[in-house]
Amino acid sequence: MDTRAIVRIALFAAVIAALGLLPSIILPIAMGVPITAQTLGVMLAGIILGPRHGALTVLLFLFVVLLGAPLLSGGRGGLGVLFAPSVGFLLGFIPAAYVAGLVMTRLKHLSVFGAALIAAVSGGIIVEYACGIIGLMAIARLSPLQALLASAVFLPGDLLKTLATAFIAEASYRGYSGAIASRS
Amino acid sequence: MLIDGLARPTWLHSIPASVKLGALPVLSLLLLPIGDWRILAAALAMIAAIFASLGAAGITRLKALRPLLPLLLIVGGLQAASGGLNAGAVVTMRLLALLLLAELVSMTTSTSAMIDAMAPLFRVLRPFGINPRKVALAVALVLRFVPMLLTRWRAREEAWKARSCRRVPLQLVAVFITDIFQLADRVAEALDARGFDAASVRHPPPSP
Amino acid sequence: MKAVAFFQRSYRSLVASSPEEKPCRSDGGGILFEDVEVRRGTRQVLAVPALKMNEPRIGVIGDNGSGKSTLLRLINGLLLPSRGRVLTAGLNTALCRRKLLPNVGFIFQNPEHQLIFPTVGEEIAFGLTERGLPASQAREQAIALLERHGCGADWVDRNVNELSGGQKQLVCILAVLVTSPSILLMDEPFASLDLPTRRHLFRRIMALPQQIVMASHDIELLAEFGRVIWLEAGHIRADGRPADIISAYRVHAMSAAAMDIATTC
Repeated sequence: MDTRAIVRIALFAAVIAALGLLPSIILPIAMGVPITAQTLGVMLAGIILGPRHGALTVLLFLFVVLLGAPLLSGGRGGLGVLFAPSVGFLLGFIPAAYVAGLVMTRLKHLSVFGAALIAAVSGGIIVEYACGIIGLMAIARLSPLQALLASAVFLPGDLLKTLATAFIAEASYRGYSGAIASRS
Repeated sequence: MLIDGLARPTWLHSIPASVKLGALPVLSLLLLPIGDWRILAAALAMIAAIFASLGAAGITRLKALRPLLPLLLIVGGLQAASGGLNAGAVVTMRLLALLLLAELVSMTTSTSAMIDAMAPLFRVLRPFGINPRKVALAVALVLRFVPMLLTRWRAREEAWKARSCRRVPLQLVAVFITDIFQLADRVAEALDARGFDAASVRHPPPSP
Repeated sequence: MKAVAFFQRSYRSLVASSPEEKPCRSDGGGILFEDVEVRRGTRQVLAVPALKMNEPRIGVIGDNGSGKSTLLRLINGLLLPSRGRVLTAGLNTALCRRKLLPNVGFIFQNPEHQLIFPTVGEEIAFGLTERGLPASQAREQAIALLERHGCGADWVDRNVNELSGGQKQLVCILAVLVTSPSILLMDEPFASLDLPTRRHLFRRIMALPQQIVMASHDIELLAEFGRVIWLEAGHIRADGRPADIISAYRVHAMSAAAMDIATTC
């Protein structure tokens, strides 16, 4: 992996961190609960950098968080994040980014917006929630139905985020056609 | 720089990182089979006492975990609904105890100590292509870039606010991201100019 | 693409800003500070008990951290005073922000942070589309503005990334001029530009009809202004004719530098 790739990955991991530290940049405050933009960064990592580099970006981000950096939304960090009930969602970021990137590369015939939307839903919702629910079942000893209920509260916000991801991907492509790895 | 754990070194800091990192899974395994909430409550009390012994910074760190409470309570509630109050209490308390133990380790271990403690793990992963020097560089870059990105973003946000009363649009994020690519290329150039050769990390330079 | 536009419109209405503010009418007047104080936590960052700025060209100088940026940001409402009030063009910065923005343009130091759109035309037209003008009309006005400033109509579709630093800053200035503001605020607008570009842009700016308030380290340029304000540690240390203020500032700078050499290694 050449220097440029390492730097891009590190920089994008920093973007994921920054998006988590600025909770109210993009999304309106829904029912008083500020929705953070961190999952946006994860989906964008896969869509923009491609499946392999996107997954590496998220892996790097999680590694730095585990080392103790308070980069998780809400300023959390350290090994404790592995023991939170949301650990499934956290570790699920990695396959989520990979799948988002993979779907993006496979949908080259669609518009950037359409492909990105489908990619974001595949990775950021389907894969992500699957991992999150498995995590809840394992760590919190919940039944599948209970785990589903517990995670349902995040769904509306996350659906909004997939729309936002698609917008941003499309706007990035318009501004600089090399932005999306699979379409440059 | 971003990771500084607790500002003032405490007694827990002096315990070597590998010991703390090793103790964590052991303690987790010990806690797992416990089904009596009273034992867990006692464990939690001990952990709370350790936090308190670390001073005011420890208490602050404890408070920072507050956002996790809602999810913990939902989980506990769901467990209680199907398995009774005892089950709900046990699950919630166990999770909390594990979380707090992990927090204690993170709070009292510096980044470099962590990376050093992980060295044996890296040696095992080396045949899979994981190069510890590249990883260390990547980590350093992330830590360096986060404050820089925040500053740049705030500058953009300010420029937007000077032209519009609306909330910041997604368009700005897109521009920000294309910015990132240009920045990445410039930093890579600077690294290469300083003699960092991605290929050479595989074969370390001969010692003098 | 129609779907995208639809989503964008609905999204925009979702995130629309606060409801209509009280009737705010600009009287086209200058700038007025009344008993203004800016505090950050317990620290007092700026204190300006009384200040009237009506001259066409006003410079603001001072060391870093003296409050120049704070002063400028108070004028267009990016910052609100902790105490007192600021009236710009007759509008209260705290209450009439929406009316204020098209009247006051702000140019920042780094053009990279201000440019939002990929093409020059979109960037300039933005100020108008933001105020409700249809895109085609806004584009026509953008072209007219470009031609008035000596840039050909072919500029309108140029990609901003192809432009030089000076050209980018010029686009930022035009993007702000398009709403015909009465006041232009500039926070070190030439810091990232070379000397010839600096002088060229300065000449253009001096020819503008707007009232201009500029914070700058380039005291040579400010010598041509009608009034210079010297800020130090959040207070106005001196205020008057450039010739006097600038030479006093130079003396201060040199003695400060000499002192540093004496006390540090």
